[in-house]
Amino acid sequence: MSGQGESDMDYSDDEAGYGDYYAEADTYDLEQVDISKSDPEYFEFECLSVEEVERLLNESVEMLSNSLKILSIKDLNIYEKVCNNNKLLSGCTQITPALAKVLLHTHKWAIQEVTDKYRSDSQALLVESQIEPRPESSTSHRRQQRSLRSNSNVPLICAVCVEATNEGYFRLACGHSFCSLCWVMHFQVQISQGVSTGITCMAPGCEVLATEDFALKIITLPDLRKKYQQFTFQDYVKSHPQLRFCPGPNCQVIVRAKLPKAKKCFCQSCKTAFCFNCGIDYHAPTDCVTVKKWLTKCADDSETANYISAHTKDCPKCHICIEKNGGCNHMQCYSCKHDFCWMCLGDWKTHGSEYYECSRYKDNPNIANESAHAQAREALKKYLHYYERWENHSKSLKLEEQHFKKVSKKITGKVMNSGSGTWIDWQYLLDASNLLAKCRYTLQYTYPYAYYMEPSSRKELFEYQQASLEAEIENLSWKIERAESTDRGDLENQMDVAEKRRLTLLKDFLNV
Amino acid sequence: MCSLPRRIIKETQRLMQEPVPGISAVPDDNNARYFHVIVTGPEDSPFEGGLFKLELFLPEDYPMSAPKVRFITKIYHPNIDRLGRICLDILKDKWSPALQIRTVLLSIQALLSAPNPDDPLANDVAELWKVNEAEAIRNAKEWTRRYAMDN
Repeated sequence: MSGQGESDMDYSDDEAGYGDYYAEADTYDLEQVDISKSDPEYFEFECLSVEEVERLLNESVEMLSNSLKILSIKDLNIYEKVCNNNKLLSGCTQITPALAKVLLHTHKWAIQEVTDKYRSDSQALLVESQIEPRPESSTSHRRQQRSLRSNSNVPLICAVCVEATNEGYFRLACGHSFCSLCWVMHFQVQISQGVSTGITCMAPGCEVLATEDFALKIITLPDLRKKYQQFTFQDYVKSHPQLRFCPGPNCQVIVRAKLPKAKKCFCQSCKTAFCFNCGIDYHAPTDCVTVKKWLTKCADDSETANYISAHTKDCPKCHICIEKNGGCNHMQCYSCKHDFCWMCLGDWKTHGSEYYECSRYKDNPNIANESAHAQAREALKKYLHYYERWENHSKSLKLEEQHFKKVSKKITGKVMNSGSGTWIDWQYLLDASNLLAKCRYTLQYTYPYAYYMEPSSRKELFEYQQASLEAEIENLSWKIERAESTDRGDLENQMDVAEKRRLTLLKDFLNV
Repeated sequence: MCSLPRRIIKETQRLMQEPVPGISAVPDDNNARYFHVIVTGPEDSPFEGGLFKLELFLPEDYPMSAPKVRFITKIYHPNIDRLGRICLDILKDKWSPALQIRTVLLSIQALLSAPNPDDPLANDVAELWKVNEAEAIRNAKEWTRRYAMDN
């Protein structure tokens, strides 16, 4: 399905038939025809189960082993023509599905890249992927092993347990033989440390990886087998650029995006929304690296910030103490009816005009000449400016969520108990709340973006757009909180304006 | 405690019968997995003439896991910290079950001959080793004389 949020389900792929019908009937509606261009947050992804992903990975493995088989046969044909001796083939490694899996894992599942490398130098590919040993080390050891083998009357001694036995020896492509008991213990210890695809041969300095079929031949304990398979599966998913585990607690879903980008996806099972690229909360227009830097900074400095920004503020006019209990930042003092902005405590009248500058941080132009102490204070002031706004919108989101629940309850009461209107009559209120949450979420994540932006004309443009978005969001929030006295058309108009502002900002600044 | 694996018995026997030059490793009377180790400072190194005590313990899953080794004698070395912990790849990610007590101790001896300040454990020592090697070597000699020569 497409990543358009729950409300836009009707664009999903499985209803393409309807989509086509409407697109033909209404050619003027360009938005429906090419939503990928008009919506900067458009992102295609699908939610898969573990079984589906296993199937997907196995298909890749099969595809690769088939294409490599064809290559080998072609090679063989040439050899046959040249020397008419197909014994040559026994000298080169055959690509079993287990080997194909190692190749894909080490190459991030890029089938084409593996095939190309195999075509140009199959031996180098096998060495690089830790399937075959490095040429200089292998020959001497193989020779040693062969000499040991040839003298079959003398029992072999396993170099790890130093027990002498003539049975149950296993070795990887490098030729280092060890007894099965030692191999089992080696796997046990490695798996208990969380290693699975990275388990190597036991010989010192040998980097040859244990393939899946080799491991499963050795490990017979059902619990250990299960654990090994779980761990390898996790490694495969993590190495696959199109796949990401849903970060929701105890959620088994794996999200797949054929064109992976740092965009929003959500799990259909547990409803967790996250950024596909980094797996944490979605953060447009800020990019993954910046938001991580910002969150780390906030975690480090949160105590200072908490200390400095108290939970209550005084009314700038009558100085009565006010605790914020709604999401809207357009405040009206209960006692003196003064309208002001919660963030900057300025008169709200200026917020409605083009002089709205509450979101903008004003650098001190003479800061370079000030003392180190003053510079540090200025740096903290700057950080707090952005952090307070970031934190404030996050709090507003939570308060508005409570408001949303209240509205839903109220609507139920209206429709079911007093019979005023039908369900559909009141849907616009819920839509408005959802849209408000979406807009405020984006607004929250504009603050880390702005914090790390160097002063430039681009930053000015960004802050201008951020300011207009913020102004419209507060208008929307104000109107939603007073929905009963607001005209429906006015509210819907406000919704439209706010979303347009949000999209404009994303179109200009979301670069993924 | 369960019976001692043949591998440990074999290794102990060999360490007793053919000791490595400059290294002695004796199992504890009460615990065959615990070894009292003495390494002599290699010739032509700042540790020459010193006798360095170490302890070596073979964990339950040895040889699948590396032995735990620590210097007891204080030593001025960029790859050994105040607590005697050693930064050596084969004791960590490069451990192989086919390596032995003998090879580990040989590697530690080699580390004394060739300190590696680019992969430090004791940062202050490593820093001095890089900026003023002569002074670092003087310190190492002084520590060897003070802590590794008394007994």
